[in-house]
Amino acid sequence: MSVFMDRLRSGLIRNRGWVTVLLGLFGLVAIWALLNLVIGGKCEQKCVIDTLAQTLRQVTPIAFAALCGVICERSGVINIGIEGMMLMAAMVGYAFNLLVFQLLKDSLGVETAGNVSRIVAMLMGVLSTVLLAWLHAVVSIRFKVDQVISGTVINILALGFTGYIYRQFLAQNVPAGPGTFPLVSIPFLSSIPFIGPILFVQKPLTYIMLIAVFFIHYMLFYTPWGLRTRAIGEHPRAADTLGVDVIRMRYINVLWGGVLAGLGGVWFTLEAVDVFNPGMTNGLGFIGLAAMIFGKWTPIGSLVGAIIFGLGSSVTATISIFRPDIPSQFPQMLPYILTIIILTGVVGRAISPAASGQPYEKQ
Amino acid sequence: MSFALEASGITKSFPGVRANDHVNFAVEHGEIHALLGENGAGKSTLMNILYGLYQPDSGEIKIDGQPVRITSPHDAIDKGIGMVHQHFMLVSPLTVTENIMLGQESLVPGTQALQQLARLDHHKVAGRVRELSKQYGLEVEPDAVVQDLAVGAQQRVEIIKALYRNANILILDEPTAVLTPQEADELFIIMRTLVGQGKSIVFITHKLREVLASADNISVMRAGKMVGSVRPADADQNKLAEMMVGRNVLLQVDKAEARPAGTVLTVKGLQVFDDRRHMAVNDVSLEVRAGEIVGIAGVQGNGQTELAEALTGLRPVAGGHIYMLERETSHATPRRVIESQTSHIPEDRQKHGLVLSFSVRDNMALCTYYQPPFAQGLEIDFSAIDERARELVERYDVRTPDIMTSVGSLSGGNQQKVIVARELTRPVKLLIANQPTRGLDVGSIEFIHQQIVNARDNGAAVLLISAELDEIMSLSDRIAVMYKGRILETLEAKDAVREQLGLLMAGVMKDGMHV
Amino acid sequence: MSNIPVARANFSWRRLAGDFWQLIKMPALAIILAFAVGVVVILLTSRSLTTVGEAYYGLLRGALFKQRGFSETLVATIPYIFLSLAVAVGFKTGLFNIGVEGQYTIGSVCAAWAGVAFSGLPAIIHLPLVLLAGALGGAAWAALPGYLKARTGAHEVISTMMMNYVAFRLAEFLVDGPLRDPLSSGVQTSAISPAAELWKLSAYPARLQDPLNALMVALVAALLVIVLARALLKSSRFAARMQSAARRRSLYIGAGLLVGVLCFVALPPLSKAWWPFTDPYDRLHSGLFLAVLAAVGVWWLLWKTTLGFELRMVGANPSAARYAGVSITRSIILSMAISGALAGLAGTIEVIGVSICGCLPLIFSSGYGWDSIGIALLARNNPFGILAASLLFGAMRNGADLMELNSGVSKYIISLIQALVLLFVSAPAIVRWVYRIKAAPKQEDDAKLTTGWGGPL
Repeated sequence: MSVFMDRLRSGLIRNRGWVTVLLGLFGLVAIWALLNLVIGGKCEQKCVIDTLAQTLRQVTPIAFAALCGVICERSGVINIGIEGMMLMAAMVGYAFNLLVFQLLKDSLGVETAGNVSRIVAMLMGVLSTVLLAWLHAVVSIRFKVDQVISGTVINILALGFTGYIYRQFLAQNVPAGPGTFPLVSIPFLSSIPFIGPILFVQKPLTYIMLIAVFFIHYMLFYTPWGLRTRAIGEHPRAADTLGVDVIRMRYINVLWGGVLAGLGGVWFTLEAVDVFNPGMTNGLGFIGLAAMIFGKWTPIGSLVGAIIFGLGSSVTATISIFRPDIPSQFPQMLPYILTIIILTGVVGRAISPAASGQPYEKQ
Repeated sequence: MSFALEASGITKSFPGVRANDHVNFAVEHGEIHALLGENGAGKSTLMNILYGLYQPDSGEIKIDGQPVRITSPHDAIDKGIGMVHQHFMLVSPLTVTENIMLGQESLVPGTQALQQLARLDHHKVAGRVRELSKQYGLEVEPDAVVQDLAVGAQQRVEIIKALYRNANILILDEPTAVLTPQEADELFIIMRTLVGQGKSIVFITHKLREVLASADNISVMRAGKMVGSVRPADADQNKLAEMMVGRNVLLQVDKAEARPAGTVLTVKGLQVFDDRRHMAVNDVSLEVRAGEIVGIAGVQGNGQTELAEALTGLRPVAGGHIYMLERETSHATPRRVIESQTSHIPEDRQKHGLVLSFSVRDNMALCTYYQPPFAQGLEIDFSAIDERARELVERYDVRTPDIMTSVGSLSGGNQQKVIVARELTRPVKLLIANQPTRGLDVGSIEFIHQQIVNARDNGAAVLLISAELDEIMSLSDRIAVMYKGRILETLEAKDAVREQLGLLMAGVMKDGMHV
Repeated sequence: MSNIPVARANFSWRRLAGDFWQLIKMPALAIILAFAVGVVVILLTSRSLTTVGEAYYGLLRGALFKQRGFSETLVATIPYIFLSLAVAVGFKTGLFNIGVEGQYTIGSVCAAWAGVAFSGLPAIIHLPLVLLAGALGGAAWAALPGYLKARTGAHEVISTMMMNYVAFRLAEFLVDGPLRDPLSSGVQTSAISPAAELWKLSAYPARLQDPLNALMVALVAALLVIVLARALLKSSRFAARMQSAARRRSLYIGAGLLVGVLCFVALPPLSKAWWPFTDPYDRLHSGLFLAVLAAVGVWWLLWKTTLGFELRMVGANPSAARYAGVSITRSIILSMAISGALAGLAGTIEVIGVSICGCLPLIFSSGYGWDSIGIALLARNNPFGILAASLLFGAMRNGADLMELNSGVSKYIISLIQALVLLFVSAPAIVRWVYRIKAAPKQEDDAKLTTGWGGPL
């Protein structure tokens, strides 16, 4: 019997990626049951489709945050500043969206100007997070400051800076902007019943996120870059002795992580809503980290984790619509409580890349 | 004829210490050259310089008669030098193949253009690994995950890693530290095969016996200087020891006959799981009486760590019983264990035995800070702790500028002295000493051995766990051999024969049957 | 052979000053650097040098020199002190308690409830009760993530952050729901009983007229004197002269009793005759004393008690702590509970000391939480450093209003400067590089925070 258990256990551990995915799917079903229980089966097909589509939208920033976390931590750098990075990108994206639109709308016409301004805004937002990521990298890699502290500094800096710029320039007398990215419907695939409207009628960032998940998964497990990244996060000295430039790879990976966080950040102001509020990221950066832990530092696992949390959010919204008698605050608490439960009940122990959190000392 | 590797006038200093002082070292083609010295003599530094991990302050290195500059391990590898470190440079969650190709990845043909994004070619590398494996008699499984491999197998992977990169000169740092005597013998056979195929080997060790048995040439270092080179035929253990330490070394501890009294520790059928949920301690029974030293011999990784942790409350007991003086302590917390007058010198002094950022004074009171006279209730009386610490530092000759210095800045030997001072100056009924002299210089080793014998003579029951067979044989009154979680045999020390112990450590019982 | 040099060589003022300078050198330089960067930012956004001058002048005046400026600064400092102490206690145990804002919120809600629920009781009972309620609320809110960390390894950064958001929602619900004041048009809790309020300094004479209140003050004074006398006696030369512990005890207890009686009898009439704080608009309240007491208490706890020794051990090396017999689970939970209690007290004090309506309005994130993490890091988790750093941050926060009025520069620049201070303080290498200073020998006592995400210890 114990031999069987041992085999089962090691089999589970070996395929932990898939186990996580399966458990995640089970979690989704459980949440679904909860939803139906609470609103008493009043959710018809259209409601289901809408909820799921909304879920995928909510998943986008969380998944980007998780992907940023995956790349950084796999390289050995803990990044808890993702929340601040996303906030910065949101503000910068919002600001540039307005700015560029105002500059171009007369010469290019409203629609073209809007498209251009949104793309420029996205790029500038990503640039701002790359700068923050660079700061985090320098402080924690070169100056060897404790990475948790360094990430906190990023968060505080972002809060302060965005708050300041917002109050100083963006709170009053703001001209009209071009609005958020429009929904893009993929021609053939969106007509597939049920799945079509959920997966293939989304805004651009969501598509980018889905592609990114699978792309990064491939990169991490099938390419030299991925092999080296995993090595420097587990045993940097071993990689170093074999000629891998640990410090350089860590820098570059953290910067790429910044790109991902930036994409997640601009989602707030370029896809979700057309305004910026201080602190509007509301903890999604941290939820992204929880999704990463849930997913055992794999991109696909993180996506599943993000879906669970995203589902929590949209279930919240749906419950609020159908049951106005429940004080809105309780459903709103759901995603956060869910995060805590998931965090504590993760399969086995969450073992992070062995060298994450430790600055690398070349002798 | 040029040497395969020649280093001349190598000097390297670190803050406060001259690790290498004008060292000359030469390896001939096709020879097994041992580099001998006690801990801290500078052997690892020299090898790290040869491997490009350090840069020498001055000196020259020649390979095959050509002067070279080695600025990084990558450089060293390019020039044909491969190194197998004492603590393996293997990435545990990755497979053997992935570890071997790291940094020099094979790409699936056709995807090369993508460079870093190209597809890894595991197949090709695995094929080459199998080739090398057959050629040199190094058995490895290319698709195995490294963390599932036994230590000996991991070492073979490290060697293949070097050979994969066309190493001609192999440096092995304390290769037998983690092997049974039999596995060590197998390694020496492998070394002969490698040398027979044209490689040159340097191996670092502090074990006199194996150096005399297996090397072609022995160089001895002491305190950063190269003392000299001898052939095994011209030397014996005593001469080598004298070269290593500079004076006549007491190779055997001077101890009186043991006078055991009543039983202090009884272990019955103990079962303990390790971190990976394997049964590390499998039905172990033993007894330790007051006034005797029971030594547990065995290569690390056979359950000794888990046994010590279970005895001290640091690991849960899955089955069986532990009794301390008639009282059951199988599920006692570490605090209760301490309070039942058990002292524990842990295996990993920096991880378990000390808080490196705390002062020497605080570490002296690490286990007793809450007891009178140090504390009454909640409040701590630091003046009492100060006094005690000063006294202990004096008595145990701990070299420290001040009792408030952080213990992390002390040398390994002095750190261990702090632990020993702390553990042996409380009333001790049972002392568990786990690898108490690992990594220490000869002076500290002698001191600590003496302290352990003194503890025994003062009536303590001592359980000594060590991977150094010499230490076990010289200190123990009774010896138990542990293999794969079981005690294979327990015998009186005076009846123990080295070869027999070695066989037991490898799992071969008296009747020749392998466990 | 002794290798210990003669201990404590001649004491010298110069050496003391030198040591002090070493201690504050890096933080001071970091602060200056941060303000310098602030100058640059203001310049860039306003393109006028005069704005910079007006801004900093306004900041200074608002913090210190304007009427009631300094006392307002102190009012802003008090919650910082409690919150930073909370963070510091966590840090020392190797725990990153980001959840202080949530614990603060829960503490304030509990206080608001207790302030109303026990109306009718005299201050001598009600006030401690309210403080206790707030502290317990915060403690419980923090102990849960602590327990989860100890048992399952769930990293407290995420779990406390989540608890924050839950706390905000919960508070919103309670303030708008069960605890809402039916008599008022605003969304706020019912007003607490005056007996539960923290006395303003200017209100002492009036309050002291009630004999029960006078008794409370006398008891507190007596306790303080006892503690102080005991500490002094232990460390001074008198200790050697006093033969027995019993004699010492009778001495300091006697002193305490004497002071207590004196206070009870003399203070009320004396304060009526003359009292230094007379401005009725001055908001400075007794929370100040509590804050200082808390700092001393935390110092004593961490460096003078067995519990504190254990907590610091766990923070520095959990493996060694386990080996030494310390229960890691107990330490983590206790540390978080103490941390949460301090944060809860911060929230309590805001309700019972500062609140104009004597109630808890619908509040949003105050931003105190992140600042206090910065303060704890700035002060290197030293309670007395925290007092100083909190004062600095309190001054900046208070002065920011006048700065904005004066110069038009948004007061959020303060957040930016505070973030920069934190950046420069946590990366001393940056400051050294800017100022071209050589590195001092390492002698840190910082607990390791980044111990990975998973696995119980």
